[in-house]
Amino acid sequence: MKNQLLHIFRNTPFGRETLLQSVYFCRETGTSLVVYIPRHPQFLMYFQNEVVTVDLDRAFLRSPKTARKHAEDIIRGGGLEPNFFEPKGFTASTLPDIPVDFSYMCCPRTISDLSTKIGLGYIGPRVRKIIKNCTFPVLIPTPVYKEWKSLTVFFGGSHNAIQALTVGMKVSKLSGFPLKIFTQAEKKHYSYYQDILKKNALYDGIEKGEIEWLFFEKGKFRENLYNVPHDTMVVVGAYGHGLIKELLFGSMMEEIQTILPNNMLIVGPNCTP
Amino acid sequence: MRRLFLSLHERLQLIIIASFVGVCGGLASVALNRSLSAVSTALQPHTGHWYGFLFPACGAALSAIFLNHVVKDIGGHGVPEVIYAISRRGGLLRLRSSVSRLVSCLLTIASGGSAGPEAPVVISGGSIGSNIASFFRLKDRHRIVIVGCGAAAAIASIFNAPVAGTIFALEAILGEWTPINLIPIAISSVVGTEVSRILQGNQIPFQNRVFPISMIDLVACLGLAGLTALGSVTLTRMLKVVRDKSNTLLPYAWVRAGLGGLLVGLIGLTFSGVLGEGYEVIRVIIEQQYSPGLLIIGLMIVAKITATSLTIGSGGSGGIFAPCLVIGSFTGLFYQRILLDLFPSVSWAGEGYFALLGMAGVISSVLQAPLTGIFLIVEITGSYQVLISVVLVSMVSATISHLFEPFSIYHQELIAQGELLRPRTDRRILSELNMVELLEEDCHVVHPEMRLKDLVATVQRTHRNYFPVEDSKTGEFLGMIHLDDIRSYLFNPYLYNTVLVEELMDREVPRVSLEDDLMKVFELFDKTHSWSLPVVQNRRFLGLISKATILDHYRKELMVQEEI
Repeated sequence: MKNQLLHIFRNTPFGRETLLQSVYFCRETGTSLVVYIPRHPQFLMYFQNEVVTVDLDRAFLRSPKTARKHAEDIIRGGGLEPNFFEPKGFTASTLPDIPVDFSYMCCPRTISDLSTKIGLGYIGPRVRKIIKNCTFPVLIPTPVYKEWKSLTVFFGGSHNAIQALTVGMKVSKLSGFPLKIFTQAEKKHYSYYQDILKKNALYDGIEKGEIEWLFFEKGKFRENLYNVPHDTMVVVGAYGHGLIKELLFGSMMEEIQTILPNNMLIVGPNCTP
Repeated sequence: MRRLFLSLHERLQLIIIASFVGVCGGLASVALNRSLSAVSTALQPHTGHWYGFLFPACGAALSAIFLNHVVKDIGGHGVPEVIYAISRRGGLLRLRSSVSRLVSCLLTIASGGSAGPEAPVVISGGSIGSNIASFFRLKDRHRIVIVGCGAAAAIASIFNAPVAGTIFALEAILGEWTPINLIPIAISSVVGTEVSRILQGNQIPFQNRVFPISMIDLVACLGLAGLTALGSVTLTRMLKVVRDKSNTLLPYAWVRAGLGGLLVGLIGLTFSGVLGEGYEVIRVIIEQQYSPGLLIIGLMIVAKITATSLTIGSGGSGGIFAPCLVIGSFTGLFYQRILLDLFPSVSWAGEGYFALLGMAGVISSVLQAPLTGIFLIVEITGSYQVLISVVLVSMVSATISHLFEPFSIYHQELIAQGELLRPRTDRRILSELNMVELLEEDCHVVHPEMRLKDLVATVQRTHRNYFPVEDSKTGEFLGMIHLDDIRSYLFNPYLYNTVLVEELMDREVPRVSLEDDLMKVFELFDKTHSWSLPVVQNRRFLGLISKATILDHYRKELMVQEEI
C-alpha cells in the first residue's frame, strides 16, 4: 500500500472510464489510489530536470459540484477508499504544483487536447513530456473500461526494455497475473536476448516456466502484434525522444501504441522501478 | 559538447554558464527597453486625444489575455515566482516565462500602466538561466545560482548597474552570500551590463549635479527616512488590498486588469506623470526642474501609489522598482519643499539630493533590501558623494518599515504560504526529506486475537519497541503496542495464555500519513513525547516513522546543503 497511483479526474463519461481503469489497477496490485480533482486549468509538475506545465482540457474542470461525488461513487464501487489529493504548493495562486513522487500515474492519451483527439497512434505532447521526465511508470488506459488479466512486456534488449521488464515483473507479482514477454528478434539470435536477461537476473521466471516468452524470429513486427492477447496490459519502455526523432528513427513504443488498443504501462527513460 | 563541458571543474562550469546567461539576460532587457521605447513613441501622438485614457485599460487587458489564454503562463508579476522556484523547486522555471512576461510587460507599460520593466526582465533572465542549467543537467544548487545570475544580469543591464544587480540577486533573490554564489553572479552581472552598454551606450540613467551637503542635511535625512517608510508601507498594503479585492470581486483576469487599467487611465487624465515607468519625471526632479507646488507633489505621491497598486494589483504585468523610484523621488522633493517652508534661512542641499535619498529609502523599504537600494541609487546617479546620506536613509527607512511590514513585497505571499525556505534552515532541510524514504517497513505486525505468549515470542525475534496491531481479516490498522506498556506483563508467565493483544494495545495512538508535512510530524512527536509514529494510509499500516531516522536523514541533508 506504500505504492500510490495518481489519477487526475475528468468529470465526464470518458473520465469515468479512465477512473474505473485506475481503480482496477489499484485493486489488483494493492496500490493506493490518489485522485486529484483539478480546480484550475493548469498545474505544474517539477521533475528532476524540467518543469512540465500541464494545461488541462476544459473537460477536467466541468461540473465541479458533482466531480467529488462521482469520483467517490466510482472508487467505492470498485472496493477502494476514496483518497483525494489537495495541492499544498502553489507556484502562483491559481497554479498548483503536483508532487512527482508517486509510484504510478494514470494519464489518458491526451490531457491537454480535447478528448475527441483520443485515438490509436496519438499521445499528446504533455503526456509525452511526463513520460520523458517521470520516475514512475505511466498508465495509459483504454478509452473504455476493460479489465486486463495478464501482462505482456515488450523486450528488445535495450536498457529501457530491461526497466520495463522489471516493472512488469513487479506488477505481475503484486497482481498475481501471469506475465508474458514479447520479443521481435532484430537480426539477432535468441541467445543474445537470453544473455541480456541472464545478466540482469531476469531469466529465472522463464527458466522455471512461470513467464511465457513469445519470441518471434520471423514475420513483421506489426503482424506479430496480433499475438498479443486482447485482455493483457502492455508494458513497454520509452526512450523519451522528441517526436521528430521518433518519426525519423522509429520507435517500438510508437508502433505499439499505434496498433494495440490495450491498456499500456509506459516506462520512461528516467523511471526507477 | 555537453560531455566536454561536464568534464570541466564545477566552478568553471558555473562561470561559463553565468557568462552566457549574462549575455542572454542583457539581450532580454535591451530588447524590452527598445520595444518599450518604440511602442511608446508610436502611441505618443494618440495619448493627447480624448480616448487616450483607455490605453492603459486596453494594454492591461491585452496583457492578461496574452498571459492567460495565448501563452497560458499563469503566474504573478515575476519576482516571487523566481524566489519560489529557488526556495522550493531547485530553481526550475518554465521556458515560456522567458518570453511571455516580456511581451505582457510591454503591453502593460507601453500603454501607460504604472509599473516598471524590471520584474519581467528578472523572471525572463531567471528562466533563461534555469533552462540553460537544466540543459547541462546541473545540480539543483548550481541551477539556483544560475537563476540568480539571470536575475542579476537583467537588473544590471536594465539599470546599467552591475553592483546593484549582483547585490539584488544575493540579497533579494537568493538570500545568502556564499563565494560560490558571488563569483558567477558578479560575472553575469558585469556581462549583462556590458551587453547593454555595447548596444545602448554607457549612459547613467539619472546624471546628477554636485550637491553642497552639510551636517544639517544629514540630520534632516532621518525625517525623510520616516516619510519614505510611510510611503512604502502604504504602497505595500495598498497593493495587497487591491490584489485581494480584485481577485475576489472579479473572476476574469482580463476584466480585472482592464478595469485596473481604466482607473489608471482616469488618474492619468489629471496626473499624467503617473503613467508608464516614470523615468522622465525622475530625471526632471533630479535636475531640479520640477516646478509644481507642495500640494501637487503630495497628490502625485498618492496618485502614483494608487496607480501602481491598481496596475500591478489588478493583474497588469510589471515590476515595482520603477514606481518605487518615482514615489521616492516625489517623496524626497515633497520633504525638501516642507523643509524649505519651515526653515527658509537654512541652505539645503537641493531638490535632486533629497529626491535621490527618497528613491533609496522607498526601494530599500519596499524590497526590505537596503544594500540593493544603496548601490542602485549610487550607480544609477553615478555619484558616490551622496553615499553616506543614502546609507542613512536606506537603513533607517528599512528598519522603520520593517516594524509595520516585516517582509519584503516579494516575500509576503510566500511567507504566508510557508513557502519561503532559505538554505540550511530547519524548514528547508525538513522540506527536502520525503516521508516515503523515511518509512521503516521492517516492523512485526501483530493481531488482536494473539495471546501474550505469541507477542513475547515476537518481541524476542525483533529489535523493535513498537508493534502495530492489524485486523487479521481486513488488514485494517487498529492500534499499537509499545514495549514499555507491556514490560510488567512480560515477566509474568501466568498471563501468557490469558491476556490477548487487544487488551494491551493502545487504540488512540496518534498516526500520520504519507502526505503529512514533516514539520507537523515533528510537532506531533513533541506533543506525544513518542519516538516512533505509525504511518497509516487508507486505514492500512504502511510502516513506522521514527525520530532517529529523521534526524539521521536530516544530518545527511544538512551536509549536502553545506557542501557549497
